[in-house]
Formats: sequence, structure tokens, C-alpha cells
Amino acid sequence: MNSSLAVAALILFVSLMLMLPLVPAFVELRRKSDASPLNVVQQHAGEIRHFANSFRTYIQVLEPTLQQCVASGTTASGILSDGVEYLALGRCDDSQTLPIQQPGAVCPVTIASGSDLVLPPEITFLRDVYAGGQFRGGDSNSYRAILGEKNVHLGHSSRVSRWAHAVGEFSAEHDCELSGRISSDTCIRLQGACNFLRLNAPQIETGHVMHGEDSTLLNSEDDTNASSGVVQRFLHDGDFEVHAGELVTGNIVARGKLQIGAGARICGSVKSVGDMILGAGVSVQGSLISGKQMLIGPDCNVNGPIIAERALHISAGTRCGSLQHPTTVSAPRIEAEEGVAVFGTLWAREHGEVVAS
Amino acid sequence: MIYVLYFIVFVICVYTARHYWFTLNRLFGFQRHPYIDIDTASWPLVTVLVAAHNEEKVISNILSALMTVKYPEGQMLVIPVNDRSTDGTRVIIDDFVERFPGRIQPFHRAGGKGGKAAALKDAMELVTTEVILIFDADYIPGAGLIKQLVAPFFDPEVGGVMGRVVPLNVGTNLLTRLLDLERTGGYQVDQQARMNLRLVPQHGGTVAGVRLSALREIGGWNDQSLTEDTDLTYRLLLHGWKTVYQNRSECYEEVPETWAVRIKQIMRWAKGHNQAMVTYGLRLLLGKHRATLRERIDGALLLGVYAMAPVTLLGWALALAVFFRGVAPLHGVIALFALTAYAALGNLAAFFEIAAAARLDGTRKRICLLPFLILGFAVSIFSVSRAALSQVSDLVTGAELHWDKTERFRKVL
Repeated sequence: MNSSLAVAALILFVSLMLMLPLVPAFVELRRKSDASPLNVVQQHAGEIRHFANSFRTYIQVLEPTLQQCVASGTTASGILSDGVEYLALGRCDDSQTLPIQQPGAVCPVTIASGSDLVLPPEITFLRDVYAGGQFRGGDSNSYRAILGEKNVHLGHSSRVSRWAHAVGEFSAEHDCELSGRISSDTCIRLQGACNFLRLNAPQIETGHVMHGEDSTLLNSEDDTNASSGVVQRFLHDGDFEVHAGELVTGNIVARGKLQIGAGARICGSVKSVGDMILGAGVSVQGSLISGKQMLIGPDCNVNGPIIAERALHISAGTRCGSLQHPTTVSAPRIEAEEGVAVFGTLWAREHGEVVAS
Repeated sequence: MIYVLYFIVFVICVYTARHYWFTLNRLFGFQRHPYIDIDTASWPLVTVLVAAHNEEKVISNILSALMTVKYPEGQMLVIPVNDRSTDGTRVIIDDFVERFPGRIQPFHRAGGKGGKAAALKDAMELVTTEVILIFDADYIPGAGLIKQLVAPFFDPEVGGVMGRVVPLNVGTNLLTRLLDLERTGGYQVDQQARMNLRLVPQHGGTVAGVRLSALREIGGWNDQSLTEDTDLTYRLLLHGWKTVYQNRSECYEEVPETWAVRIKQIMRWAKGHNQAMVTYGLRLLLGKHRATLRERIDGALLLGVYAMAPVTLLGWALALAVFFRGVAPLHGVIALFALTAYAALGNLAAFFEIAAAARLDGTRKRICLLPFLILGFAVSIFSVSRAALSQVSDLVTGAELHWDKTERFRKVL
């Protein structure tokens, strides 16, 4: 081989070696197998009732069957278009006829009831459950999802793994584990030691809540000052304390820890980059935001959203939002004592729990 | 000469470390999305400004999308800011005004200073709400986006909000695919890491929001700036306001489809960014203001990103000079080790960041295009360096900065 040929062969070989890593790139450029825009959620936008609404649409095909079952007082079974087996019940006591009476049994079919539905205890429902009327679940049951057109009541130590929605009131006895999205068009009531993640209803109550009038946080003059548009901002670079009983008109931002003394009133929003502690009976017209942990003392009233980036403890008697001004309470970990009322959304990203006061 | 080279190598190493820090934070660190859960609230009045200069190809898409977003009725006013358009933009806007009475208030601007900042500045006479959102006309907001962008303003420390930009015309050609990868890295990793680490997420001037009181406090829109978004980020920071990034508030945009348009776009960004660096750099690092130490350092590094292109080119030239003059210390041993280490780790940093971003997005095959990014980087480094040189020459000759609109490629509906 002459030297020129050897050099040319070497150059060709090196060029091929250099091109080798580019082969997958050229293939992808030509095939365009992953060239569509990133899928951005455009429509349902995290709507908590999305799954409930989808399930209602999905179950609509059973409507005639359910009406027939209710009219004749019978049960019917069959297979839905996607191959899922269902059991349609016409009477509230039909569940007594289910082949799943013994404790620990597993029910593998979708249950749809045209009227009230009462379920026996200690059953695992692998498929969604639909109740056209009132829903009452037995103790220690495990559900994938529940849609109730009226009230939904779970017995103690029950578990919901995906979602539950009640058009009426949703209530859960003590020690329930609500892992998914729980929503109601009227009210959610959770008893002690219930775990939760995401709750949404016009009114959410933990344990027994003392019902008074919708709180009037501030008098009308304060309210006018705070809502007249631009409010003053107080920026503090370190820790800061609002003294007990003090009235502050404006937004407070503390770059350190923030402590608000008992009975203080804030006509504005409050932010702390560090921990935030509210004493008893504090009123805040705007939002409460903490970069770390937040402890809200007893009998506080907060109108705006409450966000803690690490953990949140809400003491008994506290009201978050109101029927007129629903709000969001969110933190990775939330402890709500019995006797707390939240109007709107209560969202624990990792773990939420109702604890004894 | 050798000390200049040492300095350049040091700065490049700092940026390399920064890339790794951000990427590792995104992969393994604590992720901050504090406001994304706010889905129920007494939503405030909001004004949505849509900047439009000859946007007949795209303006109807964004206005249609805004008319279908989920935001309480009567709480949102859309103001299309028609900046001296000579095409059919005005007609399209007026048609929407008729079809959606009370929901759109047009601002037709026939004259005045050019540029987005100048147009927004003039449009502020119509704005009365505390929360303002800004979109460029080629964006298509989703149903929940307005609430997501408004939510951070419940935090009284927040002055600005930035959402995530997602290219829509990804599959058009190699350029759009490369820009898609660049955007993925920039938002999914860079911006979110800054948010996680409480650094300086950058306001992008679109899919973004600003608090009226904060804007007034910092003196309004700066119509002298070529990149009003960068300018806004730093003025907010210097006045104690935070800009926050919402990674899950995504919005489609159109990216340039030709290299000429891309080069023009990146040159404008570079000039605007360098302008902000000169204006705010020293003040940010050494001045007396409310920014934290980490914000000062990150903010300064962010200001310097476009300056790094000419600096890197200078570094290459110096390295060649040093090599041929034989002045490398220890007979080039240190240089050899440094070069090997940098080839293994340094060059990889940007690619690692983009690959990690693609993985976080759950995309697979598009990572294969990663080697082609060299091409994009090469074009950027020379374009940005050219912009810097022309900026220096403009400074000497006293020429005014000129704002160039980015050309659109969507077909007219």
C-alpha cells in the first residue's frame, strides 16, 4: 500500500469514528420520532373533580340499566365497552346479596347503585363505586374511587386510594386514610386521626367545629384601608415580631422568623422566609406564606391563602377563608387539630392528618 | 497574557460548576413549587397585556385562547398592545373587541418610541389592577395558566412571576429541534434550580407577571432597554422584590425557524443582557440593597452569561498564543491535566444539563440530537460575540440601540 492511500484510509477511518456518535442523532433527525411539542396540560388544569366528572360520563351508559333495576328492585350485571365487569344494584339492601360478604373479601367489579348504597365492612373494592343516592360504607373498607350523587359516609378505618366525590356531604369516621382527591359540593367532615392529601369543598371541618357567624376579621374602616388597592409593604431583613393586640395595616415581609402575638390584627398579607408562629386569636385579612414551618395558634382567622413550604400546624378553632371568600391551605405536611374549618382547598402534598387538640 | 488566560479559565470553571450544581439540584434536591397548589382563592382583578407589533399571523390565536381561560368572570381584562402595526393586526383586534364586549380593551399605538418596553410603558395608562400579566402575541396560554401565574402574587414578597415557555413548532427543522432542547434545559433545569435554591429566576417578559406597586416603585418599564425582562428582573431584585418561577405554568410559543431570525434574536438578547450587566452589575455585587449574598453572586453570573461568549473566544485565542509561545507552566503538564479534566467534565456540563432536563420532561428520543447542539452553540458564540463587538462600537460612535422584532412563521388563519 502506498503512503498516500494509507493516509487517506486513516483519514477516512478517523472521520467514520468521529461520525459514529452522530448516527443516532441523524436517525432521529430523519425519523422525527420524538418531535412533537411537550405535552402541556391545557384543559382540565388540575381540576379536582376531573376524575369524578370523567367517571360520571363513563358510567352514563348504565343509566337505563340502573333505572330499570330501581324500578324493578332487581340487580343486573354485565361488561362495559372497555371490558370492565359491573354490577348494577336497584335497592339499598342489594349489597347484602353481593358475593362478598365475608370480611377481607375482594370485590373486583365496578359497583353502580341507582339508589342509596350501604356496603358491608372489611371489603376491598378494586373498581370504582357509584351511588345514585346516599352512600354509607362499612368500617375498614378499602376503595379505589367513590362517586356519590348525595352524601357519602365512610366507616372508621376506611381507605380511599384514588379519589372520592360527593355531591352532598362527605364524611369520614376516625382513622380513615384518604390518599387521593376528596371533594364535595357542600361539605367535608373528617374525624380524628384521619389522614388526607387533597380536599376541596365549600366547607371542610375537622372534628367538631363550633359554628359561629362568618368571621368579621376587621372593622369596616380597616377593611377599606387594606382593600383600596396598593397597600404599604413592611420589609424586615431579619426576624420580626408583631406584638400582641397590635393592628398592622399593610403587608409584612420578614426575611427571617416571624412571630405574631395573640390577638394581633393584620390588614394585609404576611410572609416569612423562616418559620412563622401565630398566637391565639390572630386575624389576617390577606394571605400567610412561610418559607419553612408555620404554626397557627387557636381561634385565628385568616382570609387569604395559607402556604407553608415545609410543614403546617393549625390549632383548634381556627377558620381559614369563609363561605364568601374560599381559600387554599397548602403544605407538604399538615396537622389540623380537631375543630378547624377551612373553606375551599386543604392540600397536603405528602401527608395530612387530623390530630386531637 | 498568561494571567488573563488563568482568569478566563477560572470564570469558565465557575460557570461549569454552576451548570453541575443546578442540574444535580434538579435531579436530587428539594423542589420548590410553593404556589402551584393555590386553586381556590378570591382571585384578584388582573390585566393581561398582549404585546403585538405586526402580529396578524398569530394574534387571533392568543386572543381566542385568553377568551377561554378559567378565571372568574369580570376579574380579567385583556389589553392587546398594538404597537404601530402596519399589517392586519388592528383589524383582528377590533374584531375580537366587538365579539367579546367588556373583556378586551384595545390599545392602538400609532407612533412613539419603538420597542416592546416603550409600548408597554404607554399602555400602562389603561392599567389599574395590582396584578399584570404579559404575553407576547405568539404565545398560546392554556386554560389554567392565568390562575397559576396570578397565584404567586398572594405572596407579598413577590414582584414578578415567570412561567415556562414550551416550543410549539418543534418538529419543523433542525434549528427548531435544537431550540426546543435549549429551552428545555433553560427552564426545566436552570430556572427551576434558581427557584429551588432561592437565587435569581429570570423574568422573561412573556408568560410572566408583574405587581403594579412593585413596577411603580422601580420606576416603571425601562424603554431604554433592549431586553425589558432582564432589566425588570434586576430592578425588582435591587428593590427587595422577588421574581419567582413556576415550572408547571407552561405556555406554547413559536421559536425561530430560520438561522437568520435566530441570530437576530440572540443578538438582541445579548445586547440587552450586556446592557443590563453594565447598568446593574457592580451595583448588584457591591451596592447597598436588599438582595442576599447568594442572589448577588447568582445575579452577577446570570448577567455575565452573554459576555462569556467573547470571553471564551478570547480564551481560545490566548490559549493558542500561549501554546505557540511555549509559556505554559511546568512544560504544559498542568495545562494538559486541566485540558483533559475540562474535556471530560467541563464540556459535558451544558449537555448534561439539557439531557437531564429532557429526562425530567419524560422525553426520550430527542436526547439523541444532543451532539448537534455543538452547532447551535457555535452559532451562538459567534453571534453573541459579534453583538458584543457591535455594542462596543455603538458605544464609541454613540449609535442608539435598535430593537428588532422576531419574525413569525405561523400561517395566517
